[in-house]
Amino acid sequence: MNMNSEKSELKVITGNGAAAISAVLCRPDVVAAYPITPQTEIIEKLSHYHATGRLDAEMVTVDGENSAMNTVTAASAAGARVFTATSSWGLVFMYDAVLAASGARAPVVMVNVNRETPGIIAVSAGQQDMISIRDCGWIFLIAEDSQEILDLVIMAYRLAEDYDIQVPVMVHYDGFYLSYMAERVEVPSQKSVDDFLAVLKTQPERTKLVPGQKLGCGAHGILEGYVELRHKHCAAMERAKDKFEEISLDFEKQFNRSYGGQIEEYRLDDAEIVLVASGSMCGTIKTVIDEQREKGLKIGLLRIRMFRPFPSEKIIKALKGKKCAGVVDRSICFGFKPGPMCVELKSFSRELGDLKILSFIDGIANTDITKINVEKMISMTIAGAKGENVPEVTWISYDKDLKEC
Amino acid sequence: MADKKKKKRLSKVFDYLKYEDPFAKGVSFCAGCPLERLVRFVPQVMGNDIVITGTPSCSAPVLLGQNGKSWHKLSYYGTLMTGAASNATGLARYYKRAGIDGTVVCFNGDGTAADIGFGNLSGAAERNEPFVYICYDNEGYMNTGIQKSSTTPFGAKTTTTPVGSNERGKNLRRKNLGLLLAMHKIPYAATATLSNLEDFAKKLLKAKEISKKGFCFLHIFSPCPTGWGMPTDTGIEVCRKAVQTNYFPLWEAENGKFSFTKEVKKPKPIKEYVKLVKKFSHLTEEEIEVLQKDVDYEYAVLKQLSLLDQECPLPD
Repeated sequence: MNMNSEKSELKVITGNGAAAISAVLCRPDVVAAYPITPQTEIIEKLSHYHATGRLDAEMVTVDGENSAMNTVTAASAAGARVFTATSSWGLVFMYDAVLAASGARAPVVMVNVNRETPGIIAVSAGQQDMISIRDCGWIFLIAEDSQEILDLVIMAYRLAEDYDIQVPVMVHYDGFYLSYMAERVEVPSQKSVDDFLAVLKTQPERTKLVPGQKLGCGAHGILEGYVELRHKHCAAMERAKDKFEEISLDFEKQFNRSYGGQIEEYRLDDAEIVLVASGSMCGTIKTVIDEQREKGLKIGLLRIRMFRPFPSEKIIKALKGKKCAGVVDRSICFGFKPGPMCVELKSFSRELGDLKILSFIDGIANTDITKINVEKMISMTIAGAKGENVPEVTWISYDKDLKEC
Repeated sequence: MADKKKKKRLSKVFDYLKYEDPFAKGVSFCAGCPLERLVRFVPQVMGNDIVITGTPSCSAPVLLGQNGKSWHKLSYYGTLMTGAASNATGLARYYKRAGIDGTVVCFNGDGTAADIGFGNLSGAAERNEPFVYICYDNEGYMNTGIQKSSTTPFGAKTTTTPVGSNERGKNLRRKNLGLLLAMHKIPYAATATLSNLEDFAKKLLKAKEISKKGFCFLHIFSPCPTGWGMPTDTGIEVCRKAVQTNYFPLWEAENGKFSFTKEVKKPKPIKEYVKLVKKFSHLTEEEIEVLQKDVDYEYAVLKQLSLLDQECPLPD
């Protein structure tokens, strides 16, 4: 990586490599590093950049993920720009600190490389780690490919540190599929990233914990105090929706790349049936949609880029008037039959009118979501649109009814 | 004559109280708890330009404030027991990077330091993080209502090591937290207590200075009148007896070089300490002997370490 280049550079790098370079470009003050598969490459790269002078930051090689999150949260409260990365059990092990970070409204930016979490046999892709902590009060962004990983990390700092937001942001991407796969990535120049983040310097300074300044952080908030803080946090989450749209447009102006805002609408305008999905599977889905469109099928994809706050208004607008939507989940919502994103979408079913909603669960524990699988989802969604008898929930790669097991 | 002597002794301690007491005149500790003297003493000696970080514990209601009000004028960062030392790490590292002066004091009980937060305390020590960690050891989870911790001594009665037909209090030995931390070869580790305030003040000042470069750990013996069953006016006396019996020897280790800061020439038998606290009142002579052996062993280890005359500093 040439840090002095004025121009962007084309590179073939892994998703983890893209995350690491992006973090360096954002000039963090404090970075906490702890390994876990499939994230380890990020902190290895950051350690390398630190050792070779390309990353000027306090590198803290912590004793566990819990320490990683505590370290960056406190540093953030003191005024630092911070970065750390984790995955799966690491995210679970830092859960108390993840909650404390959002409670403190610390603008932490963290990458979480999605991985399964059922026992030690869980070294495989899946979004279960993200889903299990979805109500932690952070903003969640989900990338589709390596380029978007790099771009979302940069946008994450604009969002987290914005004076009107001040909520931590987690950038998610699929482990194994994106973490290790090398692909073409345009690495922006340091100057362009500096320019993009410079807006933050024009804003009022956030409250910072400084020695001798008579300020308490993490104090007891009970009764009205607590309710007020929670309400303000929720309001900031709501503001984050429009703010992210704004930041996405700014990003497009600066870097000439656009993904949409909270959601990406792929060939959705005239679509009658829609797949709703997130993450790396969307590449495959788009390919299948292109093929099916050639055959005259009116089909599109709604890709969720911002999962928290949930982009309900955008989704309702995009899906209104469609006949049938198949929601693809790479995780499970225990106690509910449909997948988690489908359950959440269904909470707006009144606003979505006559839209029929199907749940597809696939891709958990490294099961490939192949073109054949996507074709199966599409044909079921078409059948649903026609009013045929289609199961409400289908495990695409495990063809059994829940009652049979 | 005796009065004059007493005054002279006291004045030496007061010489170290160079800074304002940042706490309100009345704070909400239990009656007679030496912790009140402790929280006032630290900023009075180290200065008010410190950031204290701490966790839910006996000190938390006073350090964190209550109902949106504060008991003191210090910067304070309240955090979770699991990651106390890591939070202090984050603060200290950023202040170092940004060139912000001021000492970070990570102030926790033994539950955080020796049990649930021991891993990240050890991590911060290994990384030689530039802050002061103060553990006030009241030998149990006193804020939640007197439960056993890993520094609870042999025989002590707590609500999770009760005395009944099958149990006789804690049937295990205490963890020697100070020694464990010193074995991380940190620049400064020491023990202190409230009966020997001059010794304590010197150690605080040393820690303040050394923490600019690396990790300092202070293990403070802090009896709990409520949890241990002591009259509220005996806190300091119990501290003194703990030192005189070698139950809690006063020592320091700079870069791994150990020395006693208060040599007890003729240590009193542990019996004399045990009888001051109700939590040991059920112990038989034989059981007290187990505690005595534990104390003798720990002291013997320290004695040998102090004779080594070797140090192990980290190069600059």
